[in-house]
Amino acid sequence: MNILTLIVFLPALGALLCLVVPRPHVRTVAVLFATLTFLVSLSLFGSFFGGAENAAGSFFGSSYGTLHNVERADWITGQRFAIEYFLGVDGLSLPLLILTTLVGLLACLASWNFDQWKINKGIRAYFILFLLLETGMLGVFVSLDFFLFYIFWEVMLLPMYFLIGVWGGPRREYAAIKFFLFTLAGSVLMLVALVAMYFYSDSAINSAMIAQGTPGGIESGYRDGAMLTHGTFDLIELAVNPAIQNHFNAASTVFLGIRFAPLMFMFLFIGFAIKLPCVPFHTWLPDAHVEAPTPISMILAGVLLKMGGYGFLRLCYPIFPAGALDWAFVLAVIGVVSILYGALCAMAQTDFKKLVAYSSVSHMGYVLLGIAVMTEAGFQGAMFQMIAHGISSPMCFFLVGVIYDRAHHREINRFGGLWLTMPRYGTMATIGFFASLGLPGLCGFIGEVWVLLGTFAAGSKFTWAYPMAILAASGVILTAGYILWLIRRVYLGREKEEYAGYSDASARETFILVPMAVLCIALGVLPMQTVFNYTNGTLDLMLQHIVGVIGMVS
Amino acid sequence: MNALAQANPWSAVPIGEHLFLFSPLIVLLCTMLAIVTCPIILGRGTRPVLAIASLGVIVAMIFAVQVAGEVPYGGTSGFSPGQDAGMLIADSLSSGFQIILLIFMSGVMWLWWIGSSESERNAPEFFILLLGSALGMLLMVSTTNVLMIVAGFELASLPSYALVGFDKRDRAGAEASLKYMIFGAVCAAVMLYGISLIYGIVGSFSFPVIAAYIQENLIFSGDRLVLIIALACFMVGIAFKIAAVPCHFWCPDAFEGAKVEVTTWLSVASKAAGLLLLARLVMLLCSAVPHDKVMFVLRALAWGIGIMAAVTCTVGNWCAYKQTSVKRLLAYSSIAHAGYMMMAAAVFIHPGVAGHQAGLTALLVYVIIYLFMNLGAFGVTAMVVWETGNDRIESFTGLMRRAPWLAVPMVICLMSLVGLPPLAGFLGKWWILLALGSFEVVHGGSQWYSFKTLGWSLVIITVLNTLLSLYYYMRVVVRMTLHDDGQPVVRASIRGLMLVNACAALLLVMFFLAGPLKEIAGRCAEGLYNPGAALSPATQPVATVGGEIE
Repeated sequence: MNILTLIVFLPALGALLCLVVPRPHVRTVAVLFATLTFLVSLSLFGSFFGGAENAAGSFFGSSYGTLHNVERADWITGQRFAIEYFLGVDGLSLPLLILTTLVGLLACLASWNFDQWKINKGIRAYFILFLLLETGMLGVFVSLDFFLFYIFWEVMLLPMYFLIGVWGGPRREYAAIKFFLFTLAGSVLMLVALVAMYFYSDSAINSAMIAQGTPGGIESGYRDGAMLTHGTFDLIELAVNPAIQNHFNAASTVFLGIRFAPLMFMFLFIGFAIKLPCVPFHTWLPDAHVEAPTPISMILAGVLLKMGGYGFLRLCYPIFPAGALDWAFVLAVIGVVSILYGALCAMAQTDFKKLVAYSSVSHMGYVLLGIAVMTEAGFQGAMFQMIAHGISSPMCFFLVGVIYDRAHHREINRFGGLWLTMPRYGTMATIGFFASLGLPGLCGFIGEVWVLLGTFAAGSKFTWAYPMAILAASGVILTAGYILWLIRRVYLGREKEEYAGYSDASARETFILVPMAVLCIALGVLPMQTVFNYTNGTLDLMLQHIVGVIGMVS
Repeated sequence: MNALAQANPWSAVPIGEHLFLFSPLIVLLCTMLAIVTCPIILGRGTRPVLAIASLGVIVAMIFAVQVAGEVPYGGTSGFSPGQDAGMLIADSLSSGFQIILLIFMSGVMWLWWIGSSESERNAPEFFILLLGSALGMLLMVSTTNVLMIVAGFELASLPSYALVGFDKRDRAGAEASLKYMIFGAVCAAVMLYGISLIYGIVGSFSFPVIAAYIQENLIFSGDRLVLIIALACFMVGIAFKIAAVPCHFWCPDAFEGAKVEVTTWLSVASKAAGLLLLARLVMLLCSAVPHDKVMFVLRALAWGIGIMAAVTCTVGNWCAYKQTSVKRLLAYSSIAHAGYMMMAAAVFIHPGVAGHQAGLTALLVYVIIYLFMNLGAFGVTAMVVWETGNDRIESFTGLMRRAPWLAVPMVICLMSLVGLPPLAGFLGKWWILLALGSFEVVHGGSQWYSFKTLGWSLVIITVLNTLLSLYYYMRVVVRMTLHDDGQPVVRASIRGLMLVNACAALLLVMFFLAGPLKEIAGRCAEGLYNPGAALSPATQPVATVGGEIE
């Protein structure tokens, strides 16, 4: 069996096992399978260490779309139809895949004290849904067939809905349905794009064959006289096939009278922007984060938000470069507004968790801005920012969860002096929040700086790039403002009576925090060795491809 | 006797071999007769009746499978305009529908066995009516003769009216039945009026002949307007069966008033019969028109059906929002789903084989999947109704605790109705979307009224409706899973749990068997669109029984 299939379906297997094992062992099984998944996913590195490609310098890719651990099989086929079971990893998906298995494992450990939760009924259902969610997330990152991608994308919805809705806080029902409706709204637009891209690629291949004078096509003679090929759902093929690219991005290709590439780009963009989330679509996020139980917040912040950014880089940009060019300004504005608005909102919060939630909106704004400017540093920074945020924000959410478990409230202004009461916890918290702040030497810094550099570098292409970069850079100050203020109010100051007897972070909690803290530092100090070496090859080639197509069509 | 009649000697007097092709219908008829005589010989108990009816359905199913093996797929199932096209035809579509309907009927009978077999005093009557309506629906799909269509239509409708009001003591049921009957009578009258106009113009009841006439006289014929009115009137009858807007008003009332078994039966069977009849007629119309010419009438028909479908699913979804009765909610949901399925019929009017094939395949897959979704959802509703005595949405509160083995399949069925993967309901929508999208490739044209515009507009309307529908299905799910007001545990029989859980499991399994499912449906759909048949008299129906009435 292919290793990716194993990784994707191990959690689902664990979910099946959770159905039958006795109740007290359910969480053991869940942690076991999460650990197994993580360990197996680590072995993906194996083929890059000491492999042939290592000698070539970059681990990934002599050309865009060099894939590893590919698994291809026909799934639903018929006349003029081929949906494939097509999995593979490249520089885009590998770091996110490993991030997912890691955050999955840590969140699973964070659920270990399920018995002490306020709503502690249905432990079996909780872990089953949790593991199914993990399968969905992993599937999204490795599937390279659009149909398969869409299925995994939707598979995540229902488990997430129940995880928030059943085990969440007081307003869980509202938060859960809001999450569900927002995400489904995005995915129905994606569904339109899915169908449209299939048939437009069909037309493209068909006309290319006519042009080449190869009558018949792949499956000929289906329709009387006319030739018929079939379209493709293959995300790589959609991006690199010149015939498809020309047809998709040509100004003459229209969908219901509107230019195809910008429209489809927008359909997909909205779907992913809701997940990311960026400003007009972000309102589900604070609700969902605040109401969700701590481990689910970790998953939401650590993995689900990254799917938005991953979607941009996997689908929107390589497949519709013309659309990307048309919308670049709008996207950059949305990105900058997300950065500033998210930061200002975070500053105004008195709820600890909500603050972290809004900080996610702000951080994800950098991802969008970095991608929107379409420069090497921008892409690399966006990717790095996703990974970095995927480590620092689950850590922050867990830190909130740790104190919430003890204090049973999240009012920032009621805390104080926690560092003195809980020194180990306080130290970890400082690392986590400083990483989120973007302190040099910690992971948040690299991503933001790369994005800003990329935005400045885009000045030669876009006149609006400099003001955007300046505005985005001012976001860093706002971030520093709310994080430092937060640290002062919660961790510094005199020890409060109220919290005097609190036990420091337990062994389990420390065990969850330490890996994240270590990674925060490691990513900040060794960005090349931890992230860039894996991602840059793919990203740079993808950017060359995008620029090439833009040059070709415009 | 002319040469053509010699070539087709069974047109007047059926011979055994061809009678065999209609054996499922005959078996059902015999079962009805056996049930009529049953009270005289075996008494009015429910057991003998149920036994006879089950035996009848099983035997009919065996024959149906046999027949499906006999009927050649593709090619020969067309028709012969201008000749003595028969009263009944057997082809891959009709035998496919027989199997689907019989499977569904066994599910409904199973439900009746759980819920009503102990209390029902009028079992023989119930089964006569049930089998009668089934026979009518099968006839609707096994004919191209307008007169036979009307006979099938009435045979399906009249028992349904009685079934809705079957419990004489139930006032709501009686009211529902009356509404249903009045509405049905009016629609049938309009349909008959349309038929009289058609007969007046064309002089034949045979739809192939009518289609050929339309083909010949389409361009500038004096009675084109009359013909369009006649077809529209005819369409009213079909829309009534499908419960398409604006002929849908009977649906929620009848569904709410009727017993759950009957509601289940009507929600799928009657709509499926109507849709497949519509599909067959549209196919015949298109077959008659050479596909290099896109006729005005066909374009109008495509847009007409498309708009009707879009309105139907939108209205269905909007109206479902405020419902407090789950039966009513599911009634509106069934209207919405009929809308989705009708969209497939808009695709039939498509130049070329591929569109027809894709559209009809999508429709059949949808019907098969819809059957299990509805059987599951109504099954759970039935179990809750029998326990709590009403179908208010409040009765479902806390079902996850009260009966997890009912709540889980209900969640699965409802999410499948939304069309969320990895459940089969998604596939139904998916094939329809693909069929709609295929206009892009097969037929060009960039005018606003082009088929392409229609297809993509319907795609967008469908996905927006999916989003719309999520909320009201979720209302039930939320009640079941997130709320709990301490209502007592629901005790459901093992038989009932088996039924609903089997449906839910099938919905999961069918998603992963998407390919084979499509292939089966594709085989039923194959060859129905047969443009050659309209032009060359050589192609004969597989078998026909009875002659043309002139």
